[in-house]
Amino acid sequence: KNEIKGAGQDVGRSCILVSIGGKNVMLDCGMHMGFNDDRRFPDFSYITQNGRLTEFLDCVIVSHFHLDHCGALPYMSEMVGYDGPIYMTHPTKAICPILLEDFRKITVDKKGETNFFTSQMIKDCMKKVTAVNLHQTVQVDDELEIKAYYAGHVLGAAMFQIKVGAESVVYTGDYNMTPDRHLGAAWIDKCRPDIVISESTYATTIRDSKRCRERDFLKKVHETVERGGKVLIPVFALGRAQELCILLETFWERMNLKAPIYFSTGLTEKANHYYKLFITWTNQKIRKTFVQRNMFEFKHIKPFDRSYTDNPGPMVVFATPGMLHAGQSLQIFKKWAGNDKNMVILPGYCVQGTVGYKILNGQRKLEMEGRNTLEVKMQVEYMSFSAHADAKGIMQLIRMAEPRNVLLVHGEAKKMEFLKQKIEQEFSVNCYMPANGETTTITTNPNIPVDISLSLLKRESVPGALPDPKKPRIMHGTLIMKDNSLRLVSSEQALKELGLVEHHLRFTCRVHIQDPHSEQDTLNKIYSHLKTVLKDSSIQHLPDGTLMVESILIKVSTASEDPSTKILLVSWTYQVQDLRRILLKCIIQSHLAEIS
Amino acid sequence: MEEEEEDRLSNDELMDDWLIESIKLYNNLHAFELQDPTKVIEWTGEKSICVAGFKSGGRSEILELTLPQKLCAKEDQGLCPERDFKMEHGGFSERPIYCLKHVQGTRLLVSSGPPDNSLQIWQIGVDDSDVIRLLNCINNEEQNNHWSKIATSAAGSPCVLHGTHVKNLQVTEIESTKNVFLPGIASVDLVSSLEFLSKDAFLLCSVRGQMWLMDMRQQKVVAAQDVCALPAEDFYWCMGVERRQPDLDAVPCRVAKLSSTGYIFVSDVRNLAKHMCQTKVSIPSPVAENKFMNVSWAPALDNNIAVSGFSGSIEIYNITSWHSTDTEACPMFVHKGHTVLEDRDKGEIPLVTAHTWHPWKPRTVLSAATDGSLQVWEWR
Repeated sequence: KNEIKGAGQDVGRSCILVSIGGKNVMLDCGMHMGFNDDRRFPDFSYITQNGRLTEFLDCVIVSHFHLDHCGALPYMSEMVGYDGPIYMTHPTKAICPILLEDFRKITVDKKGETNFFTSQMIKDCMKKVTAVNLHQTVQVDDELEIKAYYAGHVLGAAMFQIKVGAESVVYTGDYNMTPDRHLGAAWIDKCRPDIVISESTYATTIRDSKRCRERDFLKKVHETVERGGKVLIPVFALGRAQELCILLETFWERMNLKAPIYFSTGLTEKANHYYKLFITWTNQKIRKTFVQRNMFEFKHIKPFDRSYTDNPGPMVVFATPGMLHAGQSLQIFKKWAGNDKNMVILPGYCVQGTVGYKILNGQRKLEMEGRNTLEVKMQVEYMSFSAHADAKGIMQLIRMAEPRNVLLVHGEAKKMEFLKQKIEQEFSVNCYMPANGETTTITTNPNIPVDISLSLLKRESVPGALPDPKKPRIMHGTLIMKDNSLRLVSSEQALKELGLVEHHLRFTCRVHIQDPHSEQDTLNKIYSHLKTVLKDSSIQHLPDGTLMVESILIKVSTASEDPSTKILLVSWTYQVQDLRRILLKCIIQSHLAEIS
Repeated sequence: MEEEEEDRLSNDELMDDWLIESIKLYNNLHAFELQDPTKVIEWTGEKSICVAGFKSGGRSEILELTLPQKLCAKEDQGLCPERDFKMEHGGFSERPIYCLKHVQGTRLLVSSGPPDNSLQIWQIGVDDSDVIRLLNCINNEEQNNHWSKIATSAAGSPCVLHGTHVKNLQVTEIESTKNVFLPGIASVDLVSSLEFLSKDAFLLCSVRGQMWLMDMRQQKVVAAQDVCALPAEDFYWCMGVERRQPDLDAVPCRVAKLSSTGYIFVSDVRNLAKHMCQTKVSIPSPVAENKFMNVSWAPALDNNIAVSGFSGSIEIYNITSWHSTDTEACPMFVHKGHTVLEDRDKGEIPLVTAHTWHPWKPRTVLSAATDGSLQVWEWR
């Protein structure tokens, strides 16, 4: 059974609950960035009305460091209460706390919120995290195991396979099927899970190529710099910044441009540190060039000094933080906003309340501290670089993993009948699209592997013929379940192993027939008749006067009350019921025939 | 494997070079990859187009896509991050789609394709779902693997003008599937292009370049253009009608006729007997059939024509610079995006299958190619 809960996307959050083989797993624990109140957190009362979640969850998995996937993690573990294991990849574990802390600062310090997690809570939460490697099978307990696969999208993003016995689920998180300048494409083997759970917000989009987006970015920067303006690019320490730097560096080199490019102090160090640490998570190209020279040490990009803000002439500056909500990027913005030759390019989503959010919504007059108004004359550009799988990507992933069922989760209750049909027809699978709070139950047909003894196999198989999966045959044997093994053996062997003696059940019935002849004659008559009718069976005269048909015994005696009535004593074991039936029929028929 | 990686890296560099160059050439450039290539790009609204697969043996998809926000925004374009097409509706077709037309003002589509000349009528988004459903079929006779050309009109009751050969053209009312008009023009040639000019008049062009302007009210051909006296290799012609104001009398309506060898003749629709101007455009080599040949007029620019189908590029010409067919015309602009932008196996150069102009953004064109690419570009 698979339950879906609160899977929002776009400006939403992801948090999915899966029940598999008796285990409960939480996939991602995101924060909804559009809300300011408790609606931003997933509704955990769904799991339990009050109290901690520890006993209800076997583990929590976080796919990557974006806040709409991990933003509510400290809230869940420290404020609602969960002490069980939390799994994520190494880069995610390293980067999550930084983003959570940044986000906490904006929410609490800038907006003065009280019902929010503290810095200490973030630290305590991260202590519960176990980092995993790609393709490493992690035993959560003796029945539940998980495995991470490369997802592309951002540094450290992973798709997870969750397995309990023969049943498995693959959760994709956010993934990307096309490699970009610093990350590779998502990859998974033909693991044939029962279900693939995939985000589908971008399932109905056809994405503009990365190159055209980059072109647009370069064009804007170039135009501004050409006319002597300054370009401010507010970024998070980790995320798009590195990619954009690589892009600008390549461009500057090709075009032989002279305008200076700067990177906020501390940014380069941090970025370099993390990318060096997680070099195996980047793509082939980066790793190759890294050997020759440090990809993150740039020729044209220098560390920024505050004093440069007032330098005349064109320049490009990457500064933190990303939403223009505080710090250096905001300071620079204040100084440059009044000049229409300048430009600010926001490469990501901005939370409500930040300056970034306001200017992206067209606000041109901003209230700063001390009641000062800032008039924004500089050009404002919003560029989305996030790499998500689109319609084509989802089809590619399904083709790779070969699931039996597909489940698409999304925020809006959008009808995707066409996509559902497309997936169902192309892959012959079932496709489900539950809404928020809806439960989807998927029945699986788990295969139970059983060992079979060689002698039984030999006995039951048709000589010369290979088993045909389309024509199943019924086999007779005994299933012995001992410890963790399941074995199919012949009945005799089973009895032997169990030290039991086989019981024989023998039934007897009396048939009265009219026959005035002697007992011996009656017997002979029956013998002859059976011989002609039951040609394939073995019919014998036993020395004591009994007739034996296979294992059925027939004895004739005379009824005491009436000499012309003979009593046939028919005795058989329970295994040969069918034969007995045929036999009796024959006997009766033979005598009726005689009479008539 | 090493070599492959090397090639990919140098291919990346070539792409980067072109991209950097393109900054000077284009205001806007978007590149998309469809699952299957399309040979139709049909507008179904101000912000939506339909594309459809044409692969033989297997199902084809019809998709209605909405344009990226960024392309629709009239001002403050910078604040729109959306650069992606959205699949609004989709449907499945058992046959490849070679021709697809939208009936203006409705949610109906008419399509045709091999193996016969029948038409399929589709409804987009039945019952608020995102499915494009097959409603009906018109005509089902075997016609030697020829497929019908189509033109639609919504004036009055939605009708469709269709046929494989000039002599068997019909105008059929979509709802009743009854024929309302039979042009009865005596020519055994195959139809190349059809276009309604108004609710009563339509223009037709045969593959040999003969044109007829038919008035349905008067029930007769009011203007005609004969086959051009050109070398016999000119087997295939197609036409593009200038779409200006709906009122024919206000602005002269022109038609451009394109041959498979690269000749273009421009005429006034009401005076088809004469050519207003003509030229020969440079093409890599004549095409064997008019499968992908396309000539069209820019709706938001004067005297601009786009030509495609001969190679992986699209050429834009300004007809005022044309003098005669003796000197080859020089294109004003050439879009090479389809040959450069996509990652593909070496040796396969895509062919442009279709192009269409944006209804009101000047210099903005949408184009598709045999490798499944769909590009939207606005040159400077």
